Amino acid sequence: MTYFFQLVVSGIVVGSIYALAAIGFVLIYKSSRVLNLAHGQLIAAGAYITYTLTVYCHIPIYISFVLSMILTFFLAMSVERIFLRRLIGEPIISVIMVTIGLMSIIDGVIYLTPFGSENLSFPSFLPSQPIVFQGIYISYTQLAGVLITFLLIGVFSWFFRKSTVGISMRAVSDDQMASMSIGISVPRVFGLAWATAGLTAAAAGGILGNIVGLNFDTLHAFGIIVFPVVILGGLDSLPGAVAAGIIMGLIQQFASGYLDGNWGLSGTASLLPYIVLLVILLFKPHGLFGTHEIERV
Amino acid sequence: MMSANRWMATGNYFTAYRQEQRIFATHTDRLMFALFLVVLFSWPYFIELSTKHMLVIDNILIAVIAVYGLNLVTGFAGQISVGHAAFMGVGAYTVASVAGVIGDQHVLITHAWPLMILLSGLMGAAMGLIVGLPALRLRHLYLLMATLSFQLIFQWIIGSMELFNQGQFMYVGRVHWFSGEVGRSQHYMFWYYALLVTVVVSGLGVRNILRTRYGRSLVAVRDNDRAADAMGMHPGLTKVFAFGLAGFFAGMAGALQAYLNRGAGFETFTLHESIQYLAMTIVGGLGQLTGCIFGPAAIRILDLQVESLAQWAGGILPSSLDLATGLRPLSFGLVIVLFLIFEPRGIANWWRIIRSYIKLWPFRY
Repeated sequence: MTYFFQLVVSGIVVGSIYALAAIGFVLIYKSSRVLNLAHGQLIAAGAYITYTLTVYCHIPIYISFVLSMILTFFLAMSVERIFLRRLIGEPIISVIMVTIGLMSIIDGVIYLTPFGSENLSFPSFLPSQPIVFQGIYISYTQLAGVLITFLLIGVFSWFFRKSTVGISMRAVSDDQMASMSIGISVPRVFGLAWATAGLTAAAAGGILGNIVGLNFDTLHAFGIIVFPVVILGGLDSLPGAVAAGIIMGLIQQFASGYLDGNWGLSGTASLLPYIVLLVILLFKPHGLFGTHEIERV
Repeated sequence: MMSANRWMATGNYFTAYRQEQRIFATHTDRLMFALFLVVLFSWPYFIELSTKHMLVIDNILIAVIAVYGLNLVTGFAGQISVGHAAFMGVGAYTVASVAGVIGDQHVLITHAWPLMILLSGLMGAAMGLIVGLPALRLRHLYLLMATLSFQLIFQWIIGSMELFNQGQFMYVGRVHWFSGEVGRSQHYMFWYYALLVTVVVSGLGVRNILRTRYGRSLVAVRDNDRAADAMGMHPGLTKVFAFGLAGFFAGMAGALQAYLNRGAGFETFTLHESIQYLAMTIVGGLGQLTGCIFGPAAIRILDLQVESLAQWAGGILPSSLDLATGLRPLSFGLVIVLFLIFEPRGIANWWRIIRSYIKLWPFRY
């Protein structure tokens, strides 16, 4: 039973980072209907920026975490300004393909930095002794990660519910024409959506880097898993992203905890999300909380 | 009436739909095509190429076959597929696993290789139909996800099943021809001809599919699926059909690749490769048959150039910097993005402009 609860705890830890990553994805889709396939790369960029600031510039990790969020904010905003702004009004396929191209570009840039092919880990800044409660282990880093995640999710839901900018972003996602006619600058909102997505991506990257270390392959795998999470939650639902993130984290932990090693299976944790994705696509394509807008054509 | 002669036509003289649907509009086109084929088949007698460059040419031809499929599903039917390398993998692993079960020197592998290639194509088509099934209910964004999950599930299956040697290299025997076993020295030359024949035959095949009602309904569904629905086509089935066709060409390409590399290995069929094929399709020109040839050639040659640039720069820069691994994705990404922004119709469009200039010369319009 302890094993089971241990899996639940680690599932929630992983899942909350998924949720944070998925939020950025949903933000972009919700406001501009762009499926940003390069979101995983933004996460990786955030992680490496945090690492660089901490290790090479000797900035305390709390400050470098915030700094990398700010830097990625502007990075994502300029990505939108340089590449995506030109494609407003183009067919959705070209827009998706540009994000695929971006994926490659950011990959290449990261490979060219000294970190591309190395295993790095953050200097530890929290006590390395894990907390033990009834035989269940959780490290301080994981706990901090979960707390920061939920803090950020809370801030974001407040932002969308109360602040003027958040409300205008919701308005744009509802109806672009109507929001334009009441004086909201739609391109500015698109830029902001990308920028906030970059912010969350950097946060997710920073937390992830602290928990599992920095390895480009891991970060890649992590970026790709965002897609099943958002489809499960519904492409345009923020609470859906959070719920689906945690569900996906639990599914993965249970898979690697119970399935691997039995019946000759291995690495099921990397398989199950995509099986879930296929099942969801076939039976409930709008996800758990998404709007029912899919037409059967 | 056609124009006065069928050699030169500087305008549109069609009076019947049948004339408009000809594969070659004028006799000159047909003659040029025949000349081009003669050149393609005969240049190896005059020019000696190193094995490395021959391999690049063979790889380009394989990519052309794969891109035929991807262009049908992405360019003509308008559905992005990021699982094309996995479909190729289905073909390659059909050959490789048969070779693994019955032995890689079995007659079926070495002598009946055209049959094996066709079989692999059919396996790919079957997979394409299965993966395309969500198309009955869903539109592009979600189909993209379905192909992505197929790609990753494929990678897991190959990487963890005994039958596929857990992603390790699986050998396929050397093939036989009328003159006996194709030896090491003729290997790439032999496959150059085999691939060339496949490229030409499947190119004509694609051209003909596009003339049928099925091909036209692909384009109709891409342009407006609701209108296509109203005109009596079934958009869902059309998309499933497109995925099946894409799978067929990818399966054949995969099997040919397995024969060319003398086996199948995991790393040839990853997500990264899928993205490369997408890049080829975009750079060549979406929905352009000639683009299927320009795209792979451009991307593969770019790859070659980037590699030699990295080698050259490697002598100057500190050795810790692995330039090639970084420059490759960077240049691909840039090429995709720049083409999408500045020339969304791809290299095929340049070809079209040049052709019409020659056709209309000396007039400028």
